[in-house]
Amino acid sequence: MMIPRRTLLGVALLGGAAALSVGLVCTPTTANPGAQARIGGAAPGFTLTDTSGKQVSLADFKGKTVVLEWTNHDCPYVRKHYNGQAMQGLQKKWTDKGVVWLSVISSAPGEQGFVTPEQANKLTTDRGAHPTAVLFDTKGDIGRTYGATVTPHMYVIKGDGVLAYMGGIDDKATTRLDDLKTAKNFVDTALDEIAQGKPVSTTTSRPYGCTVKYQS
Amino acid sequence: MRRMRSAAIVLLVLLAVVGWHTPLRAAAPADDLVKADLLAEPAAIAPGQTFWIGVRLRMKEHWHTYWRNPGDSGEATSITWQLPQGFTAGPIQWPTPNRIPVGPLANYGYDGETTLLTQITAPADLAPSADVPISANVTWLVCEKECIPGEASLSLTLPAVAAGQTPLEGNAGMRSLFEAARATIPQPSPWAARMDVAPDTLILRAAAKGLKPEAIRSAQFFPFSETLIRHAEPQTVAVTDAGLSLELPRSALTIGTPKDARGVLVVGEVIGASTARHAFELGDVAIATAAPIGSAGMILQAALFALLGGLILNLMPCVFPVLSIKVLSLINHAGQSARQLRLHGLVYTAGVLVTFLGLAGALLALRAGGAEIGWGFQLQSPIAVAVIAYVLFAMGLSLSGVFHFGYSLQAVGGNLAHRTGLSGSFFAGALAVVVATPCTAPFMGTALGFALTQPAAVSLIVFLALGLGLALPFLLLTLAPQLVRRLPRAGAWMETLKQALAFPIYATVAWLMWVLGQQVGPSGLFAALMGLVLVALAAWSFSIWQTSGIWGRRVAAAVAIASVATTAVALAGLQRDRVDASPTTQAAAAAGIEPFTQRRLDELRAENRPVFVNMTAAWCITCLVNERVALSTDAVKSAFAAGKIAYLKGDWTNRNPEITRILERHGRSGVPLYLLYAGADEPVVLPQILTAATVLQEIDRSLQRRADLTTSAKE
Repeated sequence: MMIPRRTLLGVALLGGAAALSVGLVCTPTTANPGAQARIGGAAPGFTLTDTSGKQVSLADFKGKTVVLEWTNHDCPYVRKHYNGQAMQGLQKKWTDKGVVWLSVISSAPGEQGFVTPEQANKLTTDRGAHPTAVLFDTKGDIGRTYGATVTPHMYVIKGDGVLAYMGGIDDKATTRLDDLKTAKNFVDTALDEIAQGKPVSTTTSRPYGCTVKYQS
Repeated sequence: MRRMRSAAIVLLVLLAVVGWHTPLRAAAPADDLVKADLLAEPAAIAPGQTFWIGVRLRMKEHWHTYWRNPGDSGEATSITWQLPQGFTAGPIQWPTPNRIPVGPLANYGYDGETTLLTQITAPADLAPSADVPISANVTWLVCEKECIPGEASLSLTLPAVAAGQTPLEGNAGMRSLFEAARATIPQPSPWAARMDVAPDTLILRAAAKGLKPEAIRSAQFFPFSETLIRHAEPQTVAVTDAGLSLELPRSALTIGTPKDARGVLVVGEVIGASTARHAFELGDVAIATAAPIGSAGMILQAALFALLGGLILNLMPCVFPVLSIKVLSLINHAGQSARQLRLHGLVYTAGVLVTFLGLAGALLALRAGGAEIGWGFQLQSPIAVAVIAYVLFAMGLSLSGVFHFGYSLQAVGGNLAHRTGLSGSFFAGALAVVVATPCTAPFMGTALGFALTQPAAVSLIVFLALGLGLALPFLLLTLAPQLVRRLPRAGAWMETLKQALAFPIYATVAWLMWVLGQQVGPSGLFAALMGLVLVALAAWSFSIWQTSGIWGRRVAAAVAIASVATTAVALAGLQRDRVDASPTTQAAAAAGIEPFTQRRLDELRAENRPVFVNMTAAWCITCLVNERVALSTDAVKSAFAAGKIAYLKGDWTNRNPEITRILERHGRSGVPLYLLYAGADEPVVLPQILTAATVLQEIDRSLQRRADLTTSAKE
């Protein structure tokens, strides 16, 4: 399902003007073709556009711990984590400590979870979220490279660029708000362990949630 | 009374349907997405009874709910039971799922309609006349492209009755609904399964021996674990003599060795013009790591166990005489130089190790080819068993003094300093291994079991350790000549001991003949026993050759060669007389099932007996499933018995022209074929996919027709 680079570039150039005119930023995404996200390996690099139209690269954050959160605000599982204030809490706790938190939207235009930059900013304000940036992966290339299957699908990358965690956000694969209280949050644990210089104890878990609404 | 109860139940079921609800954000028209209801198979419950309850989910078109492993996303439906005191509910008996592609991902679940069955057991002290309320809280996620969670509280009430008071069947409609729902549950797998683990792929091997590659249209594995495989990627199926294997792309979400490789294997088998889809639950999948996973400590432990096992092997009745003879030869030559002794010890060890390596190499090569074999594989071939028995028998005869073999006491003694003596020691080492092969010593099983899951290099280390253990006692003796001097002095007792040692060997030969008796028919066993006589004849001729003049030698040599040649011919015949000692055949014989022959069928029909004919083959999955779900069920068995129906089973695994003719007569080119002869007229041909209900119905109908015929004949 990887789209050849040449096609990508062509689409990006051709569609650039049209995309801008409908107020949507079509991103010339770059990913190492064939690169796969693997625990203990280098996290695949990327450059994506954020809600202000700025280019954001993984390489910009060398030396910092980076969290990737695949999101779709209408997905019942994502709603559980935002309605329960859990996601925002986690974002605030760790961005305050210098961790970079990138929320990634891979929903294609017309699909659930697809938003314009303005809508994305409004969602951040309305929900009291604290991501470092919200990034658009409209073509889904980065999502596919990382193997993101669901929302919320979580990745933690250490300062040296090594992927330290991938999988679900916690161990309660439900949409019930009550479960937030008893769930074991794998991302929080991984970030704690990285902060203390310890190896990450749980490096993978079953990602749960709604299917990422990729461009088909 | 019963009717009223039934009406009450229907009402309750209706109430349950109406009572379901989906609390959700108001915008979602969730109400039309899933209709859930709770169903019970029996109309009443008796004390201690185990009965089936179903949660039926009916989804709106294009929407689906999920299997126990939802795949790349989604969530399994869950049921929480509220039952009266003393009642217990089992797990959900998940129907075989479908693979639902969602863009670049895949889910496992159910479109349209599914019934999740659960078995509930009533307490033994259930008071009759009590009402039993059964409630279930069901939560699900239903998705088309987008997903909406839902839940329902469902309940129904069943009356309790005393055991045996009333027939406990529900109404016929409910019965067939549950019958249909049960048919969607995967069958327990008839084959052992193994998962070979490599860094990027998993290979699932089901030991479905003898499947025909052209008959397998598709195969798909649904793992229980969400993080075992990449769900959306294609699975590559291969059918070999060893069975069916599926190459599965491994998920990056499981690091190291997966713990749970269980799942459901769905196989599409071609039957005539159509395809039958069979689902098997692989509830016990051995996980074999192809990569070097054993830690140094584990390898060391296995090697140590193998060494110990090898040491103990020396005491086994088959090996002990070989070792003893080597020791006796040492006593005879206690005066030899230490260097000579050491040389013999080392050459003997080399003989043991080289032979072990050869054996291990053969074993590993066969396993790499997909054969499901372990230690003792050499005994699976009747020819190998016979050859080992002949070698041992020849050795026994030599010990008994019938002839003197190259390595025997005097011969070795005479040539100890020469090359022939050395090759004798090497040969003795090789012989020790060959005669050791039928034996297993304590510790050996653990060590070899571990070795066979390891890469070849590690396996060979363990085998070498086993060989070293076997060679060690003799090697130590030769390395420490002072020990040899401690042994008793040479004398006539040695000849007596040697002769006595022949008897454990004869006992081993007798045991091997018994093994052979399990593998071949009576004529094969006779051929093998005649082989023993020929071995004795060859041995005796050899001794004549050793001692007589020129003519005697010629005759003796001719007889020896002729008997060895005849033995070889007898051996070749063994393979042909292999009996199919498969468990099914044995079970069949026990259950009063006769093998099919046209003659037997004609006889039975001449007697005007009803006959059921089952044409099957070991490689036919559909046949196997039909036997499990229908033909070998108690209901069908008792119906056969009650109707005095003779059961003939034709095995088409190998070519059988008689069966082929029957198949052709009924327009079939292959199995399964099921025929029910009610009397002298033409038989009823049953469908190729059976359920117990179909078979029972056909039996009823045929017996009825038969009764009608008999009556009209009388009138």
